[in-house]
Amino acid sequence: MIASLGFVASLVLALMLQIVDLPEWAAVARPAWPLLVIGYWALYAPNAPAILAAWLLGICCDVLLSAPLGQHALGLVVVAIVIRRLSGIYILFPLWQAALALIPVWALYVFLMFWIDGLARHAADSTLRWMPIVSTTIAWPIFAGLLDSFRARRTRNRDRMRLP
Amino acid sequence: MNTTLSDSSRNSLFPRGPGLGVKLTLLASLSILLMVAEKRGNPQLELARQWLSWALTPVMWIATSPAEVAGGVDHLRSREALLRDNHELRERLLKQDARLLRLESLEAENIRIRELLASSSSLEDRVLIAEVLATSQDPYRHQIVLNKGGRDGVYRGQALVDAEGIMGQVVQVNPGSSVALLITDPDHGIPVEINRTGLQTIALGRGDGHGLSLPYLPGNADVKVGDLLVTSGLGGRFPAGYPVGTIHELKHAGGESFMEAIAYPKAKLSQGRQALLVWSERALPSSGTEEEPIAVPIDLPVKPEAAATTATPKKPAPAAVPPAPTPTSAPPAAPAPAPKSAPAAKPAAAPKQQPVTP
Repeated sequence: MIASLGFVASLVLALMLQIVDLPEWAAVARPAWPLLVIGYWALYAPNAPAILAAWLLGICCDVLLSAPLGQHALGLVVVAIVIRRLSGIYILFPLWQAALALIPVWALYVFLMFWIDGLARHAADSTLRWMPIVSTTIAWPIFAGLLDSFRARRTRNRDRMRLP
Repeated sequence: MNTTLSDSSRNSLFPRGPGLGVKLTLLASLSILLMVAEKRGNPQLELARQWLSWALTPVMWIATSPAEVAGGVDHLRSREALLRDNHELRERLLKQDARLLRLESLEAENIRIRELLASSSSLEDRVLIAEVLATSQDPYRHQIVLNKGGRDGVYRGQALVDAEGIMGQVVQVNPGSSVALLITDPDHGIPVEINRTGLQTIALGRGDGHGLSLPYLPGNADVKVGDLLVTSGLGGRFPAGYPVGTIHELKHAGGESFMEAIAYPKAKLSQGRQALLVWSERALPSSGTEEEPIAVPIDLPVKPEAAATTATPKKPAPAAVPPAPTPTSAPPAAPAPAPKSAPAAKPAAAPKQQPVTP
């Protein structure tokens, strides 16, 4: 019960962090929070419904960011599935190595967004687009570590899959 | 405290329910279906988006609260700063009052002259002040969310201005809020004229957050750095005569027949918490997507664009306008080359009445 509450709370928090007002120079380097939170749950919580959550979170992102309905949903679902699929490999890496190994996944997500925007005739500055990959990679160890310590405190004595 | 494998590990080894491939196919095709349906303009999806947007309002409120808290810190400013502000504002008010006095007489004169010309368009526009709820959620999508929506009569395509100039237009209306596209967005184009010469062109957003691009200027156009751009009112989206920006740079590649100008918007797009929604005269009540072509006598060789500006009556009697060219905002200085530049009417905002030649 508490576990699922934490799950939902982390999703809502990611949504808020994604739309919170930032100064212009910082907004460029805003990490893709939905990506971080979905990546974490897909990787370290094998029984969390991460894929369905990815889709719902994506739809919420689309509404809040006024993107075509389904754009972020598609990207997040693909990311969640890829990470679930490869979680057997990723789980072996220590935190910082996992951060590096996840770069292609973030790049895939950003490329999908870029591609859909192109199909929807939404031109955009392409240098700004790739910045979230860098910031998400930097934010990953911090974010995953924090979220994991929260979970670890709750489920201290239970046999759970956690960060190695 | 169990010593055996927990449920979680067992589930991951032998997953029950649909597999990953099935989930991927299902959700991905659902997403793609949604995108295609929305592109086709499905009304139910529009409704669903409005409902979702309404349901997510609390999230937006909480997310914008840090900015409000930062605004609250302003209350703790020193007395000196407040006094200084007050003094400055008083001075400004005095200056504005003086200008307003002159403006009133000018307005009266303008109305008299318009009556002489039997033109029915008025100078005053109906406006509504809206608070900016959220800004710049994406660095490459220049949009703001306003706290006024369909309940307040906001409509799609409505112009948005601030104290300095045009900010953008409303692209999505929810019951209690609306989303506006700023003029710097790469998707946005606005018909403008150069205030000094009356030259008509289109200003597109550059997408870098603070620039406009005028790509359809003929190579010999009379444009200078510092020229003021005002809305031309063509297309009916934006009311005529509002400042849009000032020319900052001219790029003329040798051998090219077109030159490009870079302008900076007048409006303070990323500052301030308030904006004005303007009801322009020729706005269509609901969607504004279908523009009716208006019969404008285009056989006047000298100034077709001036005639187009006057042809903005309230819809019923479009043909009743006499073919009298009245320059509303531009000084009558557009000689022969000016009409030649008119075929720059490319984006959707441009009206049909232009004699378009590629």
